[in-house]
Amino acid sequence: MRVPRKPARVATARVLTVSGEPPVSHASTSPMTAAAPARPFLELRGIHKRFGGVHALRGVSFSIAAGEAYHLLGENGCGKSTVIKIMSGAHAPDEGEIVLEGRSHRALDPIQSLAAGIETVYQDLSLLPNLTVAENVALNEQLVAHGGRLARLFDRTRLKRTAEAALATVGLPTARAYLNAIVSDLPLAQRQLVAIARAIATRARLVIMDEPTTSLTRREVDNLIAVVERLRSEGVAVLFVTHKLDECYRIGGHAIVFRDGQCVAQGPLTDYSKHRLTELMTGRTIDSQRYRTGAPQAGELFAADGLSLPPSFARVSFSLRRGEILGITGLADSGRNELATAIAGVTPAARGRIRIDGKVERIGHPAHAIRLGIGYVPEDRLGEGLFLDKSIFENEIALVVSDLANAFGIVDKAKGRALAGRIAQDMRLNTGDIDLPVGALSGGNQQRVLIGRWLSIRPRLLVLHGPTVGVDVGSKDTIYRVIQQLAEDGMGLIIISDDLPELLQNCDRILVMNAGSVVAEYDAQATDEEELYQAMLASRPDMQTEAAR
Amino acid sequence: MSATHLQDAAPSRRSAFLDLVSRRPEIITFIILLAICVAVSVINPAFLQPSSLVDIGRASVVMGLFALGVFIILAAGGIDVSFTAIAAFTMYSMTLVVKDHVPDMPIALVLVLATAGGALLGVVNGLLVHHLRVPSLIVTIGTQYLFRGILLAFIGTVWIMSLPTQMGAFGRMPLFQFESGDGRTITLPFYFLVLPAAALLTWWILSRTLMGRAIFALGGNASVAERLGYSLKTIHIFLFAYAGALAGLAGIIHAAANRQANPFDLVGSEINVIAAVVLGGARITGGTGTVLGTLLGVLLIVVVNSVLVMVGIPSTWQRVVVGGFILLAAGFFMFCQKKNN
Repeated sequence: MRVPRKPARVATARVLTVSGEPPVSHASTSPMTAAAPARPFLELRGIHKRFGGVHALRGVSFSIAAGEAYHLLGENGCGKSTVIKIMSGAHAPDEGEIVLEGRSHRALDPIQSLAAGIETVYQDLSLLPNLTVAENVALNEQLVAHGGRLARLFDRTRLKRTAEAALATVGLPTARAYLNAIVSDLPLAQRQLVAIARAIATRARLVIMDEPTTSLTRREVDNLIAVVERLRSEGVAVLFVTHKLDECYRIGGHAIVFRDGQCVAQGPLTDYSKHRLTELMTGRTIDSQRYRTGAPQAGELFAADGLSLPPSFARVSFSLRRGEILGITGLADSGRNELATAIAGVTPAARGRIRIDGKVERIGHPAHAIRLGIGYVPEDRLGEGLFLDKSIFENEIALVVSDLANAFGIVDKAKGRALAGRIAQDMRLNTGDIDLPVGALSGGNQQRVLIGRWLSIRPRLLVLHGPTVGVDVGSKDTIYRVIQQLAEDGMGLIIISDDLPELLQNCDRILVMNAGSVVAEYDAQATDEEELYQAMLASRPDMQTEAAR
Repeated sequence: MSATHLQDAAPSRRSAFLDLVSRRPEIITFIILLAICVAVSVINPAFLQPSSLVDIGRASVVMGLFALGVFIILAAGGIDVSFTAIAAFTMYSMTLVVKDHVPDMPIALVLVLATAGGALLGVVNGLLVHHLRVPSLIVTIGTQYLFRGILLAFIGTVWIMSLPTQMGAFGRMPLFQFESGDGRTITLPFYFLVLPAAALLTWWILSRTLMGRAIFALGGNASVAERLGYSLKTIHIFLFAYAGALAGLAGIIHAAANRQANPFDLVGSEINVIAAVVLGGARITGGTGTVLGTLLGVLLIVVVNSVLVMVGIPSTWQRVVVGGFILLAAGFFMFCQKKNN
């Protein structure tokens, strides 16, 4: 099915040209700002919230005006999600005042919040995977219209109408086949837009988006930005919760910076440099310098020769030396994800050869990869990697449990604990207690536990897929230092990532994939983001059409 | 967003058949059913006679009613194993009430009261599932013992061989009758109509009311459904009450059709019914399935149970065959899903 181009593409192009310039706030250049009413739509005044002994919010105040964009910035655990829940009515503040369209409230309940037009797009999207796109977008509108009562007829015509309008606004197709598609069959980026479409299917006044771009590639982010522009032009305020500073500047608007439950800065983004925002968020100075200082050793460690897995990628060849860090990037559908899982043996390549230390090996199963000393840290660490309710200790030794066991299958706990303790230290976990469940750790620490687990088998090659997705600035720094240390020790590393600064700061070389092939290779020190984007976005014939010729 | 990317949503490069099957798994059920019918009629043409078709229709009613109830609960991500106990409870108590106290109660009222009684016991299930926050499998195992225990301990254990006249008459009332080739009178009973009526009602609720969509929403992801404002309590109570009502009705029909009320009857056949629903394409994890698929699953089990004898396979082999079909169908559903992802 080929979908007709949507007007969204025009808007996308416009935003792209703007983003090419140095950070300029849209808010200050856009004519909409002048029309914004003087009275804020929503204002929080001196909000405090305690959970048991934890003082999560300590006197937070900020205001949100109609038609403006805001970025709520801060490290994990700074109180961002608590403040969202207070706005959406899930939590009541202990102290303080919420002023909604001039009316003061001690707290909001979910119905009040929704009725006032405050919609939240949660990080987990909160979609119903088994229902259709149209139902996910527009069913709730009928539920709210009937006040939550279920003994009512379900109006299909109205569902279709509401869904079409909302989908068109976010730039998704409105064809019947798309309306009736099951949400679990959609790619993640489209699910994100479906969740946003649901938020605006009712008369939204403020849309809160909790880390909406975590799983999106640059092209999809462009589309999201176009959607945000459209919402703002209709007088809808948008509040982003994010880690990605680059995107904030591209969207423009106001920054609200949180640290330790306090609002430490707010104002137009143009008043703050990226460096300054990072300092405000972390409370310390982090240089955005290149982490990579070492150089690869001599001798090939790994080589891929003509790897193919139709329809995802074809004839991919590259080699990697000991102690080398290779970056691979590309759009989400470029085949980079499938290449990563092929190297790890999760979805083995159909054709081509892999050489490790000069020997041709077959990787047909994750166990083969592990035996050959290839570690794979997946992108979705919660879904594919960690046992959240188990302790750090148990997670760290998961790969070596059988080595730690004696002839009767009894695990040598002392040895395991010593190993886990050593790994926790190497990975610079910020807790010494290896009996803590992994679910209690921050995203950055969870990622370090996952990387640390692979260290237990001393891999020769470590494949890191989105190593800092959803990780805060401080943890990123630690993870990068660990990566560099591993390369220093002679391990080969492949980093598959969307985060171009991450690749530029950490890698020796960067491969760019586009439509299933490696289209360019760059020396990380001799290239920049713009050049990489050009290679990623260059239009190429689809793999099928190429193969058909 | 570009056109090439949106293309991913369309199943262009997949096999059309696998795609169809993964969307409508009941097609597999239908194909198996068709294959059995063809094979049996080749081996023993007697199968195609109207009399055996009427037998199959008659045998499907009680199981079909049970299966519709199980299906609607499965669609919401739960499971119910207490429905047979509810059916036995209402069937036996109702028969006693009519026999000993109100002998001239019209049959319509008997049916309505049995249905209401079943719904009431279902509400107990729904409240327990909601408030205990215990998986419905555990709750309904508990209530199955509870309902059955109360029936046998307090209401009675005596096998009633002669039903009240109006119930017996209801069991014999014909929808149509005809003479077969060998001079026997073949009757499709009136109560057969209850099954298509209940199936239509279930289909209507599921696809045409907000409650129906809410049931599938709950089956998709309960915590998301709650966050979106669906009242889980209302849904739980409705679900189990509806399944209970169907079970109550099925109980009376079972008694009328067999011309006796046995308090030890029915309980023990739950797995058979759940197997039928799963064979009909509903996933045990919830959120999917269709009324049509459920009916096909029931039909498949009833046909297997009744035709194996006709082709000379001993009835002890029925279980082996049904078990084989369940594994075959489940394996195939899984295969199609994997192929599709």
